[in-house]
Amino acid sequence: MMRLQAVSKRRGSASQRFSLEIERLHLRAGQVLGLVGPSGCGKSTVLDLLALTLAPDQAERFSLHAEGGEHDLAQLWRNARRDQLAALRSRQIGYVLQTGGLLGFLDVHDNIALPRQLLDLPDDGSVERLATALELDEHLRRYPAELSVGQRQRVGCARALVHAPQLLLADEPTAALDPLNAERVMSLLLAQVRQAGAACVIASHDEPLLRAVGVPVLRMGCRRDGDGGVTSVLEAGH
Amino acid sequence: MRAPLIARLAWQDYCRDGRLSACSVLALVAVITPLLVLFGLKFGLIGSLTERLQREPSVREIIPLGGGRFDAAFIAALAQRSDVAFALPRTRQIAATAELLRPAGERRVSVEMLPTAVGDPLLQDIPAPTAAGQVVLSHTAAEKLGVQAGDQVQASFSRQRDGELHWQHSALQVQAVLPLSAFERDALFAPLALLEAVEDYRDGFAVPALGWPGAQRKADAKRVYPAFRLYAQALDDVEPLRQWFAERQLLVSTQAAQIAQVQSLRRNLDLVFWLVAALAVVGALAAVAAGTLAAVERKQRELSVLRLLGFGSAALLLFGVLQALYSALFAASLAALLYQGAEYALNRLFVHTPGEHASRLLPVHYLVALGTTLLAAASAAAVGGWRVVRIDPSQGIRDV
Repeated sequence: MMRLQAVSKRRGSASQRFSLEIERLHLRAGQVLGLVGPSGCGKSTVLDLLALTLAPDQAERFSLHAEGGEHDLAQLWRNARRDQLAALRSRQIGYVLQTGGLLGFLDVHDNIALPRQLLDLPDDGSVERLATALELDEHLRRYPAELSVGQRQRVGCARALVHAPQLLLADEPTAALDPLNAERVMSLLLAQVRQAGAACVIASHDEPLLRAVGVPVLRMGCRRDGDGGVTSVLEAGH
Repeated sequence: MRAPLIARLAWQDYCRDGRLSACSVLALVAVITPLLVLFGLKFGLIGSLTERLQREPSVREIIPLGGGRFDAAFIAALAQRSDVAFALPRTRQIAATAELLRPAGERRVSVEMLPTAVGDPLLQDIPAPTAAGQVVLSHTAAEKLGVQAGDQVQASFSRQRDGELHWQHSALQVQAVLPLSAFERDALFAPLALLEAVEDYRDGFAVPALGWPGAQRKADAKRVYPAFRLYAQALDDVEPLRQWFAERQLLVSTQAAQIAQVQSLRRNLDLVFWLVAALAVVGALAAVAAGTLAAVERKQRELSVLRLLGFGSAALLLFGVLQALYSALFAASLAALLYQGAEYALNRLFVHTPGEHASRLLPVHYLVALGTTLLAAASAAAVGGWRVVRIDPSQGIRDV
């Protein structure tokens, strides 16, 4: 579904330099993957690249297979086709943010429904279905400020899945939760991802949790170079 | 870009942010209301002064000075001009007098005769006498004679021939009496034909239509008029007409100075208004732009989440512009209401003549004010909100 080969991204210079190198990553439809590594080693940068929000510096291959065709993302970035990338992102990718990333001026229902409204998709009951599955059905008319962190996080999961994306990205979705809540949210999220048949990449520092819920992990490593900069490498995935 | 969706989101955010939204509305109200009051005063005051002048036909009158020699065609051409409301020949003033007598009474009044016709501004709403033998009397003449509209009066016209005094009498019907404010001297308004007949009679000619004897007029003799009654269409037409006559070496008397006074007051007030308006609008633009700029900073997280969800730069820009438009709409409405209160108070304080206004706005003024406010707010918000294009979707991921 998504293929990356020799993709690199560099930020800063000299001792402030941070380089990320992805040798090879092939995400298949429905594949669930955990991304683990110490903090500051570039997990977020990988997710940004996958989310089409960050331009790669170099890419031998960076493509998305969706909507019955192959999209050359590297080419789109070179041509600065941001609107086309944004359109692909809004249709094909769902994103779960660390603390939900909810819009404070919308209630739970409207927050979840927003991606569908943006894509002009008909109301097929998926908002209510996800709300029920994520145990939010009692809170649909409440505002994010009135919810607990765990509830907000589940709203974020529902919003990321409501438009049936092919790829779900989650950046430390449970970092702000206590261990009990964390496992609950993670299990609910994965159940929905599997039911939807979407591919999923979860960045987390909590490797035991990922293992506990049965997610295969991909490790990131980093090394300090001679010039003081840091190079981070994603081990080759399948 | 889904404009209705963005409009709804912008509205929900606007409501959720009620207190700040109210502040931005009040900031705009503070600019718009004084401008409305100032403009209303200017428009009402100048309008009332101008109307007062307009109501007074004598202000628009152009009176030829010195003896002229005009033929009927020249005066008819004047009457056709678009800047002339009314033009009619006058006969010689010395021939245009009559002795009026009430049939049953003793009272005798000597009046001047003025030609009139349909459209005479002096008559205002009174229909002009058109039939032979019908006249309109000035208030003082009617008062001295003790007659009212509908009464008959006897008019006598005299001439001196070979040392003898000849008289002709004619029964005239008083069709109407002018109000005092329209004409203050003793006068009789009659169709031009009667004045021409009297002039002919006094010149010693016969007037067959009235059965008055005298010498025969030469058939091809063209009548020459020494003067005319002429009223400009509008106040602004008086000065150009004066110049037109001056170019033709015709000396005329006008009320141009009085009109110029009002017009110079209007120009000066215009200048003051536009100066204040320009300063205020610059301030309002800066306030809206700064407000949007601050909102973009404040809502950076929300805006970047929207961007992450797939909203483009144009949509985010529209988000801010729409919120400014909501404020502008509320502010314009509130300012209009406040102005109405001010208008009521000002008119109660300063106006004692019905129909006049110290402060006044037409519906079109409200519309222009609304349009200008919306346009200014939208452009200022667009300028202030330009930074949204720099908002990175990954800022939302980082949860700044």
